Amino acid sequence: MTELATMEFHPQPQAGEARPWAFPAPGRGTLGNGLTVLRCHRPGQQIVAVEVLVDAPLDAEPAGLDGVATIMARAFSEGTDKHSAEEFAAELERSGATLDAHADHPGVRLSLEVPVSRLPKGLGLLADALRAPAFADSEIERLVRNRLDEIPHETANPARRSAKQLYKELFPETSRISRPRQGTEETVAKIDSAAVRAFYERHVRPATATAVVVGDLTDVDLDALLGDTLGEWTGSTAEPRPVPPVGADDTGRVVIVDRPGAVQTQLLIGRVGADRHDRVWAAQVLGTYCLGGTLTSRLDRVLREEKGYTYGVRAFGQVLRSAPDGSGISLLAISGSFDTPNTGPALEDLWKVLRTLAAEGLTDAERDVAVQNLVGVAPLKYETAAAVASTLADQVEQHLPDDYQATLYRQLAATGTVEATAAAVNAFPVDRLVTVLVGDAATIEEPVRALGIGDVTVVSAE
Amino acid sequence: MPMGHTATAEAGSGGLTATEHRLANGLRVVLSEDHLTPVAAVCLWYDVGSRHEVKGRTGLAHLFEHLMFQGSGQVKGNGHFELVQGAGGSLNGTTSFERTNYFETMPTHQLELALWLEADRMGSLLAALDDESMENQRDVVKNERRQRYDNVPYGTAFEKLTALAYPEGHPYHHTPIGSMADLDAATLEDARAFFRTYYAPNNAVLSVVGDIDPEETLAWVEKYFGSIAGHDGKPEPRSGALPDVIGEQLREVVVEEVPARALMAAYRLPEDGTRACDAADLALTVLGGGESSRLYNRLVRRDRTAVAAGFGLLRLAGAPSLGWLDVKTSADVEVPVIEAAVDEELARFAAEGPTAEEMERAQAQLEREWLDRLGTVAGRADELCRFAVLFGDPQLALTAVQRVLEVTAEEVQQAAKERLRPDNRAVLVYEPLTADNATDSDTDEEAAK
Repeated sequence: MTELATMEFHPQPQAGEARPWAFPAPGRGTLGNGLTVLRCHRPGQQIVAVEVLVDAPLDAEPAGLDGVATIMARAFSEGTDKHSAEEFAAELERSGATLDAHADHPGVRLSLEVPVSRLPKGLGLLADALRAPAFADSEIERLVRNRLDEIPHETANPARRSAKQLYKELFPETSRISRPRQGTEETVAKIDSAAVRAFYERHVRPATATAVVVGDLTDVDLDALLGDTLGEWTGSTAEPRPVPPVGADDTGRVVIVDRPGAVQTQLLIGRVGADRHDRVWAAQVLGTYCLGGTLTSRLDRVLREEKGYTYGVRAFGQVLRSAPDGSGISLLAISGSFDTPNTGPALEDLWKVLRTLAAEGLTDAERDVAVQNLVGVAPLKYETAAAVASTLADQVEQHLPDDYQATLYRQLAATGTVEATAAAVNAFPVDRLVTVLVGDAATIEEPVRALGIGDVTVVSAE
Repeated sequence: MPMGHTATAEAGSGGLTATEHRLANGLRVVLSEDHLTPVAAVCLWYDVGSRHEVKGRTGLAHLFEHLMFQGSGQVKGNGHFELVQGAGGSLNGTTSFERTNYFETMPTHQLELALWLEADRMGSLLAALDDESMENQRDVVKNERRQRYDNVPYGTAFEKLTALAYPEGHPYHHTPIGSMADLDAATLEDARAFFRTYYAPNNAVLSVVGDIDPEETLAWVEKYFGSIAGHDGKPEPRSGALPDVIGEQLREVVVEEVPARALMAAYRLPEDGTRACDAADLALTVLGGGESSRLYNRLVRRDRTAVAAGFGLLRLAGAPSLGWLDVKTSADVEVPVIEAAVDEELARFAAEGPTAEEMERAQAQLEREWLDRLGTVAGRADELCRFAVLFGDPQLALTAVQRVLEVTAEEVQQAAKERLRPDNRAVLVYEPLTADNATDSDTDEEAAK
């Protein structure tokens, strides 16, 4: 090769001296109205991120009204006692601000991002939304119709469809987690402004809420600012809602959601694990990364970089509902997609990767690289105020201490290969995995049955 | 004038500076210091994209980008990924119409490794490139195409609309992902020739941004990249120039398995890098950006005929940009209802121009987008490369937001009047497949070629 001669080669450089970085520690306080506030000054971060967590979990939705928390969350930005829906959106955008609100199992979360020069305006709008939402009949009707229009789009999306099926498989019908977070056609259609207001009055109050404020706060008198905005929000006191226990059925089995003619099969394998209070969490993060965290992890090394069956397969753990006593749950999952003809061979290889992991374990080299990545990327990952605010809010939402993330980095660094292997093997036991495949049943059913990875049932996509 | 509302004293540039350098082999280097966080971003733009591809080889630039991660002279197999991730870095590459970029964000103390890796593949990729990686990545890219385009509802809309908006034979007629047939047809020799033609230091810009010592960084760049020979002979891409206005309404109706009817359209707009493009951006923002725009208010809030409605801008420097309309209908609403409302709003806007408040809002939104983009070292590194490669001056990245804030309401109105007209758009209509229209389902086949 002549190409080799065209440049001067140098040995791979060695790392310089690492500069210290630590996950920021927030300050914690309480406003007069009972609102808990976490604040964190991040020099240079001109876009301030504010997260507000409201103790309005999905399990608090009244029976038959799944989706009311979602409609309420959306309605927060559809008008207040000061602005109509259109005006409110215009005021936000005029401030260069964005406000997102969504409802999930642990509660309702509002995320504001705004340039620091407009923080007073942004916080004022956020406070208005929480303090005095209009919930006008006409706006709620519109949001309900809009939500109903979205559902067919989700059903048609293979990734969304697979998630819906997996939750249905894993959890008993009586558990809120088994059902779509944003409701079904049947439940959403029943939601009106009275239902939204009732849910709001019952569950939205500063005493059980937390605000997280992160950004460059150099020239900001945050106490005064909060006093004039979120401090004006009032409500009764209440105890935090208890977290209901959730059972799950992870008997190994396969469900094919039939999508005739699909050129790919969407894969979602899952089971239920503990929440982040569990001592195994750090080792599980490490082991799961080695299994399927990136393109050079075990799954992609075979399924993508050797076989070309996929654009990428990932393994991950995601907390669904955390409890202060550690009795909460997470979803342990593997997701990706394979071209239709190779679905059987790809699953066979995937199971082979899991069996090999169980039989032979991880190598020290794999463990080292994983630790170096997971811990080393922290300063990159937390460059923006929004990233820091989001993690601080997750910790609060999951009843974890404010120094959890910093502690997790130390635990990761101290976790050995044997522990990481055990955690990964326990997280993904080959006979306790529920496999959802959204794809062309006529082509994939037989090869999947032949694998013997559990009973196979086929359901319709609609 | 609604111009006194900048969110920060320096409006986007935040007092940032950049210095420019050029190695003897032609590699342009842009450095920008920022010591807030101990991280450094490396970004390398090669001046080659899908517009450089020839007939029968669509998708080659992107497939080639994948091959850049398959090892080089001193880096084995997936070593590029392994080494960067093992150093606590993150990385990727992307391919568009006009360029291919590669980037690593590293903890400061690992910056030198990223430079070594980028230099190794720029200078010696062909030492490692073989049939095995070619065959493997061909399959990976085909699965990428299936996952992102072919297996999702409306997934090929972008491809179809681009093919309509730019005529047959135009360099932007096809999108970077390419066709399955062309991906199958690409050979190892095609990939080698592509590298020899386009992957040269004098066809690239390297930016390094963040917690760096500029002198030391420049010395590393010289050390690792300095001995890579530059070479000329890159063919100029076919001209992307087109008349300002299409002159007729182009249209395609697709009957497919989609959950709802949709109206999509691409308007032909001024090239990126011009004040007229910034004016068009503001017009699209007033009309279809966010949830207080004219189209959102009309279709989603008032008429309630749409689930979602908005405009986006695809900025292009080597061909007309595209203003991108996307409306998904609500329930049983028919497309002509939506289309009439869109036309009415666009005509009204062209006649009236934006209000002062709308200008303020649109400028605040675009300013915020710039703050976000320049707010991370990786985003800044990418923008510096963009302005260096496409417009010859990286400093323009640091003043881009000022230029948007200088645009007047009159210019925005003029952009709408001249460009946002029914005879200057390609329209793509989606009708869901039903038992009644099942036999018409192949109407989209010709246009997809």
